[in-house]
Amino acid sequence: MAAPSIQSRLGLVPGTPPLVSLRGVGKVFPGVIANADVDLDVFPGEIHALLGENGAGKSTLMNILTGIYQPDEGEIIVGGRAVSFASPVDAIAAGIGMVHQHFKLVRAFTVAENIHLGWSETPRRISRVALETRTAELSARLGLAVDPAARVAELSTGEQQRVEILRVLARKARVLILDEPTAVLTPAEARELFAALRAFVAEGNAVIFISHKLDEVLEIAHRVTILRQGRKVATDWTDACTETSLAQQMVGREIVLSDMRGTERGRIGASVLALEGVSLMSEGVTLLKNVSLELRAGEILGIAGVAGNGQRELTQVMTGLAVPTTGRVWLEGADVTRAGARRIAAQGVGHIPEDRLHAGMAPALSITDNAVLREYAKPPLSLGPLFRPWRATRLAREIAAAAEVMVPSFEMPARNLSGGNQQRLVARREMRIASKVLVAAYPSRGLDVGAINTMMRYFTELRDAGVAVVLVSEELEELLTLADRIAVMFHGEIMGVVPAEGADIEAIGLMMGGRRAA
Amino acid sequence: MSYRLQRLPVAKPSVAFAARIASVVLALLTAGLVLKLVGMEPLALAGRVLKSTFGSSFGLEDLALLFTPLLYCGLAVAVALRIGAWNIGAEGQFNLGAFAATGIALFVPGPDWALLPAMAVAGALAGAAWILMPTLARAYAGVSELITTLLLNFVALLLVYWVSTGPWLDPSGHALATTARLPVAVPEFWGIVHWGLPVALILAVGLAAVFAFTRWGYEVRIGGSNPGAARYAGMPVRRHLIAVMLLSGAIAGLGGMMEVAGTVGRLQGGISNNYGYLGIMVAVLARAAPLGTIATAFLMATILNGGIILQTQGLTTHTVLALTGLILLYAAIGDEAAKYRIVKLAKGA
Repeated sequence: MAAPSIQSRLGLVPGTPPLVSLRGVGKVFPGVIANADVDLDVFPGEIHALLGENGAGKSTLMNILTGIYQPDEGEIIVGGRAVSFASPVDAIAAGIGMVHQHFKLVRAFTVAENIHLGWSETPRRISRVALETRTAELSARLGLAVDPAARVAELSTGEQQRVEILRVLARKARVLILDEPTAVLTPAEARELFAALRAFVAEGNAVIFISHKLDEVLEIAHRVTILRQGRKVATDWTDACTETSLAQQMVGREIVLSDMRGTERGRIGASVLALEGVSLMSEGVTLLKNVSLELRAGEILGIAGVAGNGQRELTQVMTGLAVPTTGRVWLEGADVTRAGARRIAAQGVGHIPEDRLHAGMAPALSITDNAVLREYAKPPLSLGPLFRPWRATRLAREIAAAAEVMVPSFEMPARNLSGGNQQRLVARREMRIASKVLVAAYPSRGLDVGAINTMMRYFTELRDAGVAVVLVSEELEELLTLADRIAVMFHGEIMGVVPAEGADIEAIGLMMGGRRAA
Repeated sequence: MSYRLQRLPVAKPSVAFAARIASVVLALLTAGLVLKLVGMEPLALAGRVLKSTFGSSFGLEDLALLFTPLLYCGLAVAVALRIGAWNIGAEGQFNLGAFAATGIALFVPGPDWALLPAMAVAGALAGAAWILMPTLARAYAGVSELITTLLLNFVALLLVYWVSTGPWLDPSGHALATTARLPVAVPEFWGIVHWGLPVALILAVGLAAVFAFTRWGYEVRIGGSNPGAARYAGMPVRRHLIAVMLLSGAIAGLGGMMEVAGTVGRLQGGISNNYGYLGIMVAVLARAAPLGTIATAFLMATILNGGIILQTQGLTTHTVLALTGLILLYAAIGDEAAKYRIVKLAKGA
């Protein structure tokens, strides 16, 4: 018996053509094959997930589909005809629109102004009121609630995303491409988004959904296409997949997502870093309130909590970037409360910051300059006041090799690296100096399963070498598999510290919501 | 067979350099075309400019005297750009440097060998003092140095006009709007070209070396590119900002001292001759690289010198300003264009 056709499984009339097809698409950048020979069919009524590691070519492929790049090989077929998009304007005219991971909205403009910006259907002369009325009508018709008069800068991330989607749908897109849409959303906002997407495809439209999160892909998508190193590995029905099978196809090797906690008990050593009654106030706002924590050699301490509850400030106090208003910070018995970032780093505290691109790197400078940020002042890079660029390049090579990052040129600006590679370089750079403590804030954010796995392996390596690791994360799963103890933060306070082994997820959830540990 | 443009993340240095040359050539061609349209003979004019500039040692000496202040001002602006600050006030600092050096020369008695270094130090200090307030305002209150340095130019310019026509006016009665001739001068080493030029060249090389081969240079690079990353690494960002901006003012001030004590010989109003503003262009064209500044200051000097010669042919100074504007415009286009390369596609697309 022949397998049922895609059309019949999607409940379409047999022979319904795809809304959009890619045939043998290839794209080459200097020194890199971004895509090679990729086929993709997206049918009406379908949510099609695009899955792949960082640098697997997902973004390039979608940039080709939306006219930002032109393919070097292959063709795009829309409505049975091969088309060529010179720009995103052409793509949206053909019904293909994309919502990027980093929103492309004008923050100082209102929602209505953003919706109408650069749209051929915007009347040449129109009053503010008329603009807002049009927006309100669109919003009601497409079922995406927005406040037309609100300024984008005042909106939450979820609301901004809705404006982006409305912007695309208003231009009559039939294929909506979303690049990691849930990365910036709360779980409740994500559920709303999923409902809106299901309603959208139910009307015969299609969604291409780029994601790293396997559970999410299985939940929302009908079919999934997996890319690896720029090539298509497979297209499968999600009901035939499991998280493990997807992860394996994506990474191309077995990966372990299971328990990574240390097995030998008693390996935990003496206290290394201690916070004693630390509070931090800024402009009348209490950011940290009476935080006391002790960190011991050879343990991983997880910091759980909803983002924005003092985690950033906690890492800043631990690494000397902020001086607490009251309280003390001890590093191996020495008071380092006011020691400053340089001295704390020199004493063996590494720091993977939350916003690696803007806090931990100078994106416009070379990879070499960025790689040596922690060690430039020491021999052999510097002798007295003299800096030796050739030794810097040598160290940068070493770090890139350890991080398994392919660098075509060390003179290239660091911003040209993919997000995952930047993170690996920063992580390796910090691991080199973290002889006592590593403070890692959201190290897996924006990384795919393979890269997260590598990152976690780095941490266990450090832990086994007797380093104390502080791991700030929103992913409870990650903390439970990795951490020895978990501290939960809420409104700048520690709600409680629990051992990760046998931890009650529900209790942690309650603490994240502000209830103190019993 | 078809061709397509491909964008590279970074331009290759050789291509970027070629684009710069092309932009200068194109600007000259455009200017020539306009001259032709208004009925002049661009080729004959160009020939005359080249001949009077490079054809005699007098021409070359004049060129060197224009090159010197442009190099000082270009270096001043370039240095500030390294830490991410726009010193629009090189013009004012240049004036103040000339003012302070003149004060020492006219009113402090002493042997020549002591006087000249004292004047150089005074010039540099005065330039640094003139940027001190904008520097502190930027470092401690986040006030944009763009506006403050610019506004102080007018104060400096008027100050020099006032002293040279008022309290310091030449008592001999021969000169109407200048001070008396300074009793000392920066020694000349070739015709009328004085030691201000070699000092500026050494300064450019020295700065390039400091930025490339010192820890301080590395920290300034990081701090100028991303202050957040510099703080993260524990670098004293504010201290570096203050030091670099003061250094920038001092370089411009030293330029002013060399101008008054080497080239002009007397302090007079408008001694800065827009060198401070042209220095911004010199630095931007050189992408804030000290060694590149040597080349772009030389280019700017050639154009200015050409302008002076063209004035004798009935063209106004505005023509020259328009030409410098054209060069900047084409350079900006060239910089962007250098990031593209043409690729040949095997099959039609």
